[in-house]
Order: sequence, then C-alpha cells, then structure tokens
Amino acid sequence: MTHFLMFYAPFIVLIGGIVLAFVIAPMDEAVRKQIEDEK
Amino acid sequence: MTLEIIGISVLWTFLFGYILVGAIDFGAGFFNAYSLLTGRQRVLTNVIQRYLSPVWEVTNVFLVFFFVGIIGFFPKTAFYYGTTLLIPVSIGIILIAIRGSYYAFETYGTRGHKGYSFMYGLAGILIPASLSIVLTISEGGFVTMVDGNPVLDYWLLFTSRLTWAVVFLSISATLYISAVFLTWYANKARDVEATNLLRKYALIWALPTIITAGGIIVELRQHNPLHYSNIQMFWPMFLISFLMFVGTVWLLWKRRKYGLAFSLLAGQFVFAFFGYGASHYPYLLYPYLTIYDSFTNPAMAISLIIAFILGLGLLIPSLVLLMRLFLFDKDYVRGKGDYHA
Amino acid sequence: MGNEEAVFFSRVLTELTLSFHIIYATIGVGVPLMIMIAQWVGIKKNDEHYILLARRWARGFIITVAVGVVTGTAIGLQLSLLWPNFMELAGNVIALPLFMETFAFFFEAIFLGIYLYTWDRFENQKKHFLLLIPVAVGASFSAVFITIVNAFMNAPRGFDIVNGELVNINPLLAMFNPAMPTKVAHVVVTAYMTAAFVLAAIAAFRLLKGSNHEYHKKALYLTMKVGLVFAIAAAIIGDFSGKYLAEYQPEKLAAAEWHFETEGNAPLIMYGVLKDGEVKYAIKIPYALSFLAHSSFTEEVIGLDQFPPDEVPPLYIHYLFDIMVTIGVWMTVLSAVYWFGMKRRWAMVRARWFRWLIVLGGPLSVVAIEAGWWLAEVGRQPWILRHIMRTQEAATTSAHVDSMLILFSLLYLVLGVGSIVVLRRMFRNNPVEREIEDREMEKGGDVL
Repeated sequence: MTHFLMFYAPFIVLIGGIVLAFVIAPMDEAVRKQIEDEK
Repeated sequence: MTLEIIGISVLWTFLFGYILVGAIDFGAGFFNAYSLLTGRQRVLTNVIQRYLSPVWEVTNVFLVFFFVGIIGFFPKTAFYYGTTLLIPVSIGIILIAIRGSYYAFETYGTRGHKGYSFMYGLAGILIPASLSIVLTISEGGFVTMVDGNPVLDYWLLFTSRLTWAVVFLSISATLYISAVFLTWYANKARDVEATNLLRKYALIWALPTIITAGGIIVELRQHNPLHYSNIQMFWPMFLISFLMFVGTVWLLWKRRKYGLAFSLLAGQFVFAFFGYGASHYPYLLYPYLTIYDSFTNPAMAISLIIAFILGLGLLIPSLVLLMRLFLFDKDYVRGKGDYHA
Repeated sequence: MGNEEAVFFSRVLTELTLSFHIIYATIGVGVPLMIMIAQWVGIKKNDEHYILLARRWARGFIITVAVGVVTGTAIGLQLSLLWPNFMELAGNVIALPLFMETFAFFFEAIFLGIYLYTWDRFENQKKHFLLLIPVAVGASFSAVFITIVNAFMNAPRGFDIVNGELVNINPLLAMFNPAMPTKVAHVVVTAYMTAAFVLAAIAAFRLLKGSNHEYHKKALYLTMKVGLVFAIAAAIIGDFSGKYLAEYQPEKLAAAEWHFETEGNAPLIMYGVLKDGEVKYAIKIPYALSFLAHSSFTEEVIGLDQFPPDEVPPLYIHYLFDIMVTIGVWMTVLSAVYWFGMKRRWAMVRARWFRWLIVLGGPLSVVAIEAGWWLAEVGRQPWILRHIMRTQEAATTSAHVDSMLILFSLLYLVLGVGSIVVLRRMFRNNPVEREIEDREMEKGGDVL
C-alpha cells in the first residue's frame, strides 16, 4: 500500500488533475450568468 | 571508434553548432545596435529582426547542450574546469543573461527601445570573447595544481598574447560569420540596400579574421609545442579551410551566389574547427586531463548515446519544420505576413 | 578565502540563483498549460475572449521565459562552478536526466518559436492549437527531469561505492529513485497551481482597477477553477510525500514537524516557536503526524532522538513547512469558496475585498513555492547527496565566490525589475478593450 502511494499514486493524481482541469474548464455558465446580472 | 571518441565528437559538433548559430545571432544584435548609433536602422533592423525573432531561444540550447553533455560524458571536467573557471564563466553567464533577456524586452516588450538594443548588442558581442577564454585555458600553462586542486593564474592569463589573439579572433569571426549570413538573408528578402551594407561589413571583417586565425597557430608554437606539431599533421584540413575562405571572399567581391558564399564559409569553419579539435586530441586540458582519464562509466556513456539518438529523432524534424516556416519561407523572409502573437 | 567561507558563499549564491530562477521556472512550467486550456476552451466554445486570453498570456509568457531561460543557464553552469566535486560524482550517475532535460527544453524552445509566430497563419485554428502541445509537454518534462536530479540528491541509488570507486552504475535505477514520484508530481502540480493563481490575481486586479470587461471575468473564473483542481491535487500529493519521507528520510520529516521523540499516536505540530528546546504556542493536531507518515492514526513515527546531532537538519525548516502548508490550504479554501459562490450567485465573491484576497493569492502562491524549495533543500542538510557526500565536501576551493555573489545579486535585481517594467508597459499600452475593438474592426473589414 505504502509502495503504491509512493510510486504510482502521485502520477495518477497529477494526470487526473490535468484531465479534470480540461473537463471543467469549458463549464462557464456561472460567469455568463454573472455577466448577464451585471448588464 | 571508441565511446570516448563518439562522445567528444558529438559534443564538438554541438559546440560548433553553437558557435555558428551564436555568431550569426550575436553579430546580428551588434549590427543592429551599430546601425541605431549611425542612424541606419531603417536599412538593417527589419532584416535582422525577421531572422532573429523566432530562433533566439534555440541558440542558447546549443550551449546548454554542450556543457551538460560534457559533464555527462567527461565528469572530471566538472572538477578541473568548474574549479578554475568561476570568474570567466560567471561573466559569460551574466552577459548571456543580459543578452537574452534584453533581447526579449526589446522585441516583445518595447519595440525600438534604444537602451535595450544597445545592451543586448554589446552584451552579445562580448559573449564569444568571454567564453573563448575557456579554449585558451585548455591549451595549458595557465592552470597549476596546488594541494591537489587546480588553480588558475589570472595574471599570466591576462598578459598572454595568446589570450588576446583568441579574444580578437572570436569577435572578428563572429562579425564575419554574421555579416556573410545576413548578406545572403537580406538578398533573399530582396532588400538591396541592406544587402550592400552587410556585404561591405563581411568584406571588412574577412581579413582580420584570417590573419588572427593564422597568428594563433604561430603563437601556439611557443605556447604549446606539442599541440603545434599536431596541428601540422592536419595541414590538409587547414588548407581546405583557407581555400574555402578565399572562395567566400571572391563570391562576395563579385556579388555572386551569396548562398554558396555562406556554405563555403560554413565549410571553412567546419574544417578549421574540426582540424583544431582533432589536433587537440586527446587532451581536454593540457597536460592534466585527456578524454580517456576523464571519461564516464560505460553504462552512463551508452545510455547517454541512446538518449542522444532518440532525442535527435525528435529534434531534427522539429528543426526542419522551424526552418521551413521561417528561414526558407519566401513570404516570411520578405515580410509579407506578420503572425506574431 | 578559507574553505568554510567558500562553502558559505557557494551556498548563498546557489540559494539566491535558485530562489530567483524558481519564480520564472514555475511560471514557465505552469503557464503553457494555462494557455493551452484557454485556447482549447476558446476553440470548443467558439469564444473569441478565451482565444484572446491565450494570446495575451502567451505574449507576457515570452518575457518570463526569457528570464527563466537565462537564469536556468546560470544555475546549470553554477552547479559545476560552485559544486565541482558534487558534479563530478553526479556526472557519473545522474547525468542522464540532465541531458534529457536539454532535449525537452530544446523541443519546447523550437515549438514556442513556431507557436508565437504563427498566430492566424493557419486557416484551421486547431492546427495552431496543436503546436501548443509540444510546448506544454516540453515545459513540464523539463521540470520532471530536473526534479529527478533533485530527487536523486535526496535518495541516491543506482551505484555502489567500493574503496572510493563508483561501481555497478545503473543510470535508470538512479533516475527512478524512491524520492522521484512524489517530488516530481508535487513540483509539477504546484507549478500549475501557482500559474493559475498568479493569472487569477492579474484578472482580479484588472477588475478592481476599473475594467469591468467580461474578458477579465471569464479569465478569473477559469483560472480560479483550474487553480482549485491543482491545489487539491497538490495537497493529496503532499500527503504522499509525507509517507515517502517517513520511510526514506525520517530525519527530514521529524525536523520539519519538530517531532523529537519516537512515538506512536503522533500529533502534528503546526506553528509555534522553539524556546530552549521546548515547543511553545503550537497547535497540536492529534494523530495527524502518524496519519501523514503511515496512513494510520496510531503508528509509530521516528523522531529526532534516533539521529546523531550532526545529521539533523536545521530546525527552522518547520517554519517553512508551516508557510507552505498554510498558503496551500488557504488557497484551496479561497478558490473553493469562490467557485461555490459563483455557482450560488453569492454577492460576496464579487465584492471588492474578496477580489483583493484573490490578488494577494498570486504573490502568496509564489511565496509557498519558495518556502517549499527552501524546505526541500535545507531539510536535506548537512548532505548534498544524502549519506554519500556532505555539502562542505562538495564546494569549490576557488576564491572570489563572494565577489560573484555581489555580481549575480545585481544581475537578478536588473532582470527582476526589468521584466516587471516591461510586462507592465506591454499590457498598459495595449489594453484588452482596445485589442477586442481592433479585432472586431478587422473582421468587419473582411465582410466588406
């Protein structure tokens, strides 16, 4: 278990983070609403 | 062919790459600054900046590649050269830093800023001078061993004629290489005025370059007789180099085939540089360090060579793409499209 | 100059160069990914604002890259100039990743040149986007390879020393040392996080300083969201680092956590000061150190009592640990509140004071990076290569290191001030509102 956390898990989290960043990046409804609110 | 020879050949080739690409780059920066001073920037700046802009970072990598590679293949150089070169290389680093960052400040930040242009033009031309001292030191006679540690004798170094001859050669060769290349580039861009001016610079710097190069060989006779006699064994290489030099100057004089003139110039420096390198063999630092007693272990050498081959597989196509898009793209060279971010 | 002085000044100069370089290096690793994300969103949603965001970030990025490149060259050469004995040994065992780093960097440099000079040159925007992939990959892999070298210094392996000779050298084993995965992942992910928060700070600052353009609002929301993802990832990987340290460098963990006695059920000490060997005013989080070290609330954690005094790192690294962790947690909370608040349309997250907090987050993230690297480097002392070579044995014997220190201090001052001045001028002379107008006029021209 410790071995897994030290050797593989860091890269899984890193790559997972990059993928997640690309997935959530286009979701910008909140900011569109904000722009409408302030018009 | 031994691993040692493969290692040093790869490194020497990259150092040559740096000298050629760097000379074009540093010379161009200097001509740009000089033209600002003499009020001719209208003629030169356009051509120079079109060439310099997309490639400046690539130049620097050649140098990094060389010094990282030499530590990898010949780790003992870290001990000998690392200990002795603190001051000359530190000054070199500072010049490279000024040159690289001020170039970016001027090109991407405040275009046409005179202070920045002078800074990077001046810093650039001093880089070859400061780095060429390493070649002088490698000839031996300036480093002695004190308590098992190498120590550099600065007084001897700065009062030696050899040092100043090498410094002068590095500067004049930089300007010569750069002027020949830019003559060709300006001609491709169909910029007659710039071509003529740069052709004039090329012709001006041709003679000092060849005279100091010859003078250094004579100087070595006294300074390092062993190296001097080795050089004579390689006389055909230096003869070919000289003939190519004559060819370049003749073509420039006759205003013909600037592309061929630049190829001959590259050939001239290939033969001279590799002739010099081969005659320096096997010493990395006379008389303390040869490529054999400083070589790394076979496991590391083989992995470095494999990494090198794989790396080249990646780099060469990318470099070809870069050149096709900028150096050899007619529209780009003539300034028809500006697609900068 | 005596050897002790040479060691001292070599350490100070290396620390100075690294501390300066790491700011630009972190931006250099993180920003290409941010540019890539922005351009990707722009193409996907066909939104000009995101494309322009990528374009303007790219423009500023060049300036930071230039300083990053030249200071990187400086540290590369300084390693040999200041630590020749270390580099001689390192050259034999760990030269491979150093060598590969130059290739990664070469690759990045070439495609960055192409990318910058081909805006609008391709009919198909996706082609231009593709050029960014080698830039971002090259930048991140530069960090990976260099961090591998640093990991090797913490957990050297892949060779044996028999009678003072290096034998059985295995470059791949040296590269894939136990410190490598946690260290590499942590360095890369915090670079992404810092880049995101620095860009968020800029967007928030523009909104505070009069511009109310939606461009900045989109930029802020995008960067805060992405920053949150990487901040969480950084915390998780940080936890793995704790487990690595407990197993392979227990003295570093113990010194950073002021864990003096080996014991189970170990609490995690946050903050506090050390007075006459006693910890005062600290917050003790029960069982947390045991969990950080071994994923179990009760397991025994090795304390400093197990090490000879001359092998214990300086205890002040605890403060560095506090700074790094506090900022990390703070930025996670701040970006989470912002993201949640935006979804719920809270007025709070649009308030001026909240935006000032975001502005502050940019420099804070950079401080966290610095604290993290100081922690990593000082925490390895007295070793330059753990249990193989002490720092003082590695340093140069050359005199004049002190004068070089002065010279380089001046250089970094000039570069630091210069890059800030140029960046400010660049964006002030070309505000986004004007650029958007210009582009719309160009488009209008096409239709006519």
